[in-house]
Amino acid sequence: MLLEATNVSKAFDEFFAVRDADLSVAEGEIIGLIGPNGAGKSTFFNCLAGETVPTAGRIVFAGTDMTRASSETHARAGIGRTFQVPDTFVDMTVLDNVMVGAFLRHPHRNDARDHARRIVELTGLRPDQPGRSLGTPGRKRLGIARALATEPRLLLLDESLAGLTPGELRDAIALIRRIHDMGVTLVIVEHIMEVIMTLTKRVLVFNQGHVIASGTPEAVVNDAAVIEAYLGRRHREREHRG
Amino acid sequence: MKLFSSSRVSRFSFASVPERVGWGLLAAALLLYPLVLSGPFYRDIGVTFLLAAISASAWNIVGGYAGQVSVGHSMFFGLGAYTPLLFYTLWGWPPLAGLPVAVLLSIGLALVIGQPTFRLTGHYFSMATIAVAELIRIFTGTWDLVGAAIGLQGPATARSLWDLTFRSELPYYYMFLAVLALLLATTAVVERRRFGFYLRAIKASERAAKSLGVPVRQTKMQALALSAAFTSVTGSLYVIKTGFIDPDSGFGILISVQMVIVAALGGAGTLLGPLMGALILVPLQTTTNSWFGGGGSGLTYILYGGIIVLIARFVPGGLFELWHRVAPHFRTRAHAA
Repeated sequence: MLLEATNVSKAFDEFFAVRDADLSVAEGEIIGLIGPNGAGKSTFFNCLAGETVPTAGRIVFAGTDMTRASSETHARAGIGRTFQVPDTFVDMTVLDNVMVGAFLRHPHRNDARDHARRIVELTGLRPDQPGRSLGTPGRKRLGIARALATEPRLLLLDESLAGLTPGELRDAIALIRRIHDMGVTLVIVEHIMEVIMTLTKRVLVFNQGHVIASGTPEAVVNDAAVIEAYLGRRHREREHRG
Repeated sequence: MKLFSSSRVSRFSFASVPERVGWGLLAAALLLYPLVLSGPFYRDIGVTFLLAAISASAWNIVGGYAGQVSVGHSMFFGLGAYTPLLFYTLWGWPPLAGLPVAVLLSIGLALVIGQPTFRLTGHYFSMATIAVAELIRIFTGTWDLVGAAIGLQGPATARSLWDLTFRSELPYYYMFLAVLALLLATTAVVERRRFGFYLRAIKASERAAKSLGVPVRQTKMQALALSAAFTSVTGSLYVIKTGFIDPDSGFGILISVQMVIVAALGGAGTLLGPLMGALILVPLQTTTNSWFGGGGSGLTYILYGGIIVLIARFVPGGLFELWHRVAPHFRTRAHAA
């Protein structure tokens, strides 16, 4: 297993944002994390990325215990991530943003710039565009590019496709497929079921801090507990109409 | 901190011809200034301008590029100022001998101070740096070895050339100009390297920088150490010229505030911003001082306060940002004509 999270819990005083969550990710997989707002996905995600230290449990990446390691160490070990609200370096151009990531494996400026250029080209962004002038879809794409420039083995995408038009969504799905084809393993937090159904082979469903279901996307969307907790009445109605 | 966010994206590079011409003109103007305006008044303004530009450029490395707004940089200035005169007082050495020792002490102080203060961010970091500088100022004022409240004095007349005591302002001017050139060259190199990219990333978002593997704490410490070293040199240059230091003129908060204001006025986090800020602020200050004399000493505070309000309200990125906003309009007009 590339990533193995066992019994991960995160409590804030009395409140458990995540309780006893397990996740095993094999090299080359694309895994989806879904659940309603406040279900604990992002907290769990932050535990995996090293931004939050779990209250209990263990996280092992490529044979190394990363439970208490910092997010810098995670990046060095080969875990890249994006943010739900993209933290763009607004005073820098797209290329410079990506270069910050590229410097991790390419300390010399020219090497980092060449590597960053290739990544920017792959993501279809304009290298000289100021970060400040990008809209939300552009910033999310830049977030992916920046993380990709660190040459991760595992890429954690936090709602990177939210708020896109249908056309942009198609492009973004194609981009994620290309990244996967490069040999990168992916864990995706996403609300858009189309993305989950299209890209992933396995899904974990969170509700109130617990993993309430896991399995193939098809199995999960038909799971009674999931329908009740997440997809809800609207889904059932749609099913009836269909 | 919003005050120091700049929307300027392009950075300095030696690539473009207009920029090379610009640099040539700037260098020529700085080299020729004291020869063309040779009166003592103008030369004094020139020397004061250079000191302000050097200290603000030194502050700019950590305060501008990395966005860690220290308002306690006087601790490094004061250390740089006190050490040479202490060497002279204790052992009769030329003050210049204390300069490298002061630099090492300042780097050491930066590393010690950086550990606890970099645990804080934003305004809390700024306040912590003020507190440390004030503690040092108060402590210095009670320590007899360093002259307590009276301070220290350098050689009244030159014993040898090593004392660097000159009647004319001219040697000081060129000495300071050389230091400024060295500092700007260092900053230009920093800007282009990984270190510079990391500083700007940290300024924009520490969280995102960490996620990309940027060693945030270490990078900030290095920036503070580099900044402290050059700030210390400014303090040493100051006492080599004036031959006198006391707790207020060494560690006073106005020294720190001036660095911040000069850099922010021109454009914090830009190579030439501090230079531009000094170019405006120093003549302005000299003029108000000569108008109001000793009775207007509090006016400096009002002037600084007013400038902070104006920058924060209208041009958070400083005059460099203003230029980048206005310049396209001029170009469009020129094309239209």
